[in-house]
Amino acid sequence: MSELGSMNKQMDWKKANVIVAGVDVGSVTTKVLILVEGQVYAWSQVRTIAPKESVFNAINEVRYQTGLELQNIQYVVATGRGSTQVTFAQRTMSEISCAVAGALRIWGSSVRTILDAGGDSCKVIHCTDKGRVTDFLWSDKCATGIGRSMETFADLVKKEVTEIGDIALQSDQFPKLSDFCVVYAQSEALDLIRSKVPLKQVIAAYHYAMAKRISTLVARSGVKKDFVIIGGLAKNPGIINWLESILKVSRLAPKPEVDPTLIAALGAALFADAFYRRQ
Amino acid sequence: MVKKESDAIIEKFRSIIENVTEYGKSLHEKGRVLAGYMCTHIPEEILYAAGIVPIRILTSHESQAMTRSYIHETYCSFSHDCAYQGLRRNYDYLDLIVTGSSCIHMGEAFNVWVRFAGFHEKSYLIQYPHIIHTKPATGFMVESFGQFKEFLQKFTGRPISDEDIEEAISIYNTNRRLLKRLWEFLRSDKPPLTGLEAATVTLASQVMDKQECNGMLEQLIKKVGTERARERSGVRLLLTGGSCDDLRIFELIENLADRSTIIFIDSCTAARYFWFEVPEGRSNKLEALAEGYVGRIPCPAKDNVPGTGEKKRFRLIKQFIEDFRPHGVIFIYQRFCSPQPMDVVGLKPLLLRLGIPFVDLELDTTIPIAQFRAQLDALVEIIKKVVP
Amino acid sequence: MNNGKIVAGIDAGHLNTKAVLIKDGRILSYAKAPTACDVLAATQNVLNEALKNAGVSPDRLSGMYITGVFRNMVETRTLNVGGTVPEYIADAKGALFLDNKARTVIDIGGNVHMAISFDESGNVLDVIENDKCAEGLGIFYRNMAKVLGVTEEELSELALRATKRVSVAIQCRLSAESEAIDLMCQGVEIEDIADAIARFIADRVAAMCTYVALRKKVVVAGGLAKSQAVIKHLQNMIKEEVSVGDLPEYVGAIGAAVSYGGAK
Repeated sequence: MSELGSMNKQMDWKKANVIVAGVDVGSVTTKVLILVEGQVYAWSQVRTIAPKESVFNAINEVRYQTGLELQNIQYVVATGRGSTQVTFAQRTMSEISCAVAGALRIWGSSVRTILDAGGDSCKVIHCTDKGRVTDFLWSDKCATGIGRSMETFADLVKKEVTEIGDIALQSDQFPKLSDFCVVYAQSEALDLIRSKVPLKQVIAAYHYAMAKRISTLVARSGVKKDFVIIGGLAKNPGIINWLESILKVSRLAPKPEVDPTLIAALGAALFADAFYRRQ
Repeated sequence: MVKKESDAIIEKFRSIIENVTEYGKSLHEKGRVLAGYMCTHIPEEILYAAGIVPIRILTSHESQAMTRSYIHETYCSFSHDCAYQGLRRNYDYLDLIVTGSSCIHMGEAFNVWVRFAGFHEKSYLIQYPHIIHTKPATGFMVESFGQFKEFLQKFTGRPISDEDIEEAISIYNTNRRLLKRLWEFLRSDKPPLTGLEAATVTLASQVMDKQECNGMLEQLIKKVGTERARERSGVRLLLTGGSCDDLRIFELIENLADRSTIIFIDSCTAARYFWFEVPEGRSNKLEALAEGYVGRIPCPAKDNVPGTGEKKRFRLIKQFIEDFRPHGVIFIYQRFCSPQPMDVVGLKPLLLRLGIPFVDLELDTTIPIAQFRAQLDALVEIIKKVVP
Repeated sequence: MNNGKIVAGIDAGHLNTKAVLIKDGRILSYAKAPTACDVLAATQNVLNEALKNAGVSPDRLSGMYITGVFRNMVETRTLNVGGTVPEYIADAKGALFLDNKARTVIDIGGNVHMAISFDESGNVLDVIENDKCAEGLGIFYRNMAKVLGVTEEELSELALRATKRVSVAIQCRLSAESEAIDLMCQGVEIEDIADAIARFIADRVAAMCTYVALRKKVVVAGGLAKSQAVIKHLQNMIKEEVSVGDLPEYVGAIGAAVSYGGAK
C-alpha cells in the first residue's frame, strides 16, 4: 500500500483558529487525520514500518497536500499500537475510546456496539448514547492477526487483498476450514489447493472461517444495535457478508465522509479538539 | 541523597527474586537442605519442621520451544517454563522436589522433572483433594500429610516431632501476618508503597527461608510506616487470577498514562499464598495444618461446594473489593489455563452488578507491552468516564 | 544422470518452485520462481529459465522428475514428467549429492519444515515433520521482512548486528508476528527484533529435531538456510554443528533429478 491522502478543498486552514490532529499508529497502517474548526479537513494513510518513520511519512503526506506543517497543529492525540512512538503528541488515548468517539461522530448516537477489525487484533466495544465506553472485549491470542493474515493469504494466491473479498462471494459451496486458529486455516487452505479445489472456493472457505472466528468474539461480548464495523476488515465484503449472516445482525453501512480505517484517527482528533478547547 | 532503608530492603527482596539460583545455592552452601515446590498446595510447615527450606519454582521468562516434545503445545507457559528449567538443570542444587496434585499442566511439569531432569529418587507428590470444602476432604488431607511426614522422616533420616511442626507453624503464621500487614497499607487512599513493591516482596518470600524473610519484613514494615511519604493511589486496580511472577506486568500497570496503583492481587503468587493462618496450639498438628490450608482463598481448581456449585472464592473476592475499594479489576491468567478463565466467566457478572469495569490480560512468557498498555489505558478511560 | 543425458528436477513448494538441470552428475543450471498457487505455470516458468540459463533446448531433456508439496498438481500430460518423488526422499538424495558426508538434512521450507536422516546411499532412515502449530516459518520470515520494510537478505544481516536480547511469543508464527510488531511499537531496535525472529525460527526447528536422532554430518536446506542468524541459533540449540551448501534451496529439486527411476 502506498501513501494515500485526501483533502477537503473547500476549507482553508490558514484562516482557522483551531487545528488539531489524531494519529493512529496501527500494526499495518499509520493514519493521520486533521480537524480544522472541528471539521474533517485532511487525512493520510501510510504503511507502518518503523512507527516513528511512518508517522513522519504520514505527516509529510498531509503537508504535501495542504501545506500544513507540524507547528501549525495545536494539539495532537496519538492512539494505536505505536502511540507511544508519536513523540510530538500531547497525549495518548486508547484506540477503544477513540473508536467510540469517531464512530458516534460518523454514524450518530444510535451506535451501541463497535467491532474494530484491524490488522492485528479485533475488539468489540460497547458504548452509551453519550459516547461513554461501558466495556470492551479484546481478541484472545488465538485470534491474532486475522486482518494481516488476509494479506498473507492474498499474497499466497497471488491476488490483491482488495479483490479477494469479492472473489469470496462468488461461491455458494465450499469446503469447511478450521475456524479456531488462523495458522490451521491457512495450512488447510493450502491443503485444499493441493487437492485441486478451485481457488475461488478456497478463498471463500478461508473468508468464511475467518468470519466465523470473529463472530465468536462478537457473540461472546454481545451485540446491541446499532452495530458498526471499523478497521481494515470493514472493507472486505466477504468477511462482512458472512459475519452478518452468522451473527444475524447487520451493520450500519459505511459513510463516504470517512473511511472505516480512519475512524479511530478521527476519534483521536476529536479528543485533541476537546482537550485543546478545555485548556 | 541518602537512600531510604525501606527502599534498600525492597531492593534486597527484588535482588533475591531476580536471582533465585544464587540465593538457593547460597543456602545450599550453608548446608541447608532444599526442596523445590511447584504448586502452593503443599504443607510447607512439615518441610520446615524437617529442617528443609522450601523454595518455590518460578519461571525464567525465557521463550523456548524445546519442551514441546515433553509437554503438549497447549499447556500453559508457566508449566512449560518450569519444565524447561528442570531440563536445563537450573535446579540441580535442590535435594527434593515436591508438589500437590492440582492442575494437570503443573502436574506434567512435575512429571518432566521426575522422569527427565534427574529427580526420580528425589520427588514426592502429595495427594491433595480437589473438592476441599467437605469434611472427608480434611480427613483425606490429614492422612496424606501424615504419609508425607513419614516420607520426609525417612528422607532426612530423623524424626519430625510435634514441637518441630508447632514451631514451623508459628514461624509461617508470623510470615503470613507480616505479608498481610504489608498489603494492608494499600487499603489507604494514600498508601506509602506501591503494589509492585508489595508484589515483589511477596514473590521473594516464596523462595526464602521464612525466618530470614520475617526479619527483613519486620524491619520493612516499620520503615514503610515511618520513612515514607504517602502518595495518592490514583486509579485503584485489583488483580485476580492465576500465578503471575513477572514483575514487568505490575510495572506496566502502575505506569500508565494516568496514575494507578495495584491495591490487591488475588493469585497464588500473591494473596492466596499467605492470606490465612494455621491454628496454633492444637494437639493434632496435621489436623491443624489441614484446617488451615482448607481455609485459604481457594484456587479455582479446588473450589467447588458440592450441591450448590457455589464458589467460596467469589465471596472472598467480594469482601476484598469492599475492603480495598478498587475502581477496576484486571483478570490475569495464563493462555491455555482451564480453571482460571472458568472462574472469570462467573466473576464477570458479579463485577457488572457492582458496576466495576474489568479487562482480561492473557499471560504468556513474553509480554506484548504495547497491546497490554492499550487495554489498560482503555480500562482507566472507562473508569474516568472519558469522552471528547 | 550419465551418458550425456540431461535430467530436470522440479521442486514445487508452498512459496517457490525450483528447477535444476543435471548432466553427468553435474549441475548445469537452476532457476526459481514464486509458486503462487499456479503450479503448472510456475513449473513451466522455471523449467524454461533453467533451460535458457544452460543454453539447452527442451527436446534435449531426457526426463523430468518432480517433488515438493504441490508435485501432484503438475499435469503429467502437458509436461514430460517421468515421475514424482516424495519430498523426504528427494531431500535425502539431494543433500547426499551435494555433500557425500551428509547424513541428516534439516529442510526449512515455506510452510513445512522437516528433518530426515539417511544412510550413505541416501536411503531414508527416519523422518520428522513439524507439528501444526509450528507451520509456516518461510511465510513468517517473508511477512516479517515486509513488516519491517526490508528484504529477506537484509533481515538476516540485521539479525547479526543485534545487541540486546528480546523475545517473541514462541507458540506459533502469528503470535510471533504480533509480538514482533509489538516490539516495533515499543521502539525496540530493528536489529534486535530481527534477531528475535531468527531465534524463533531456530527454536521451532530445534524443538522438532528433539524427536529424531541427528546423524552427523548435519546439513540445512531450504530458503531459510541462507540466513546466517538462523543457522547460528540453530547450531546453539541443537548443540550440533550444521553446514549449509551453496544451493540450499535446490536440495529438493536436485534430489528429484537424481532419483531418476527412483521411488514414487
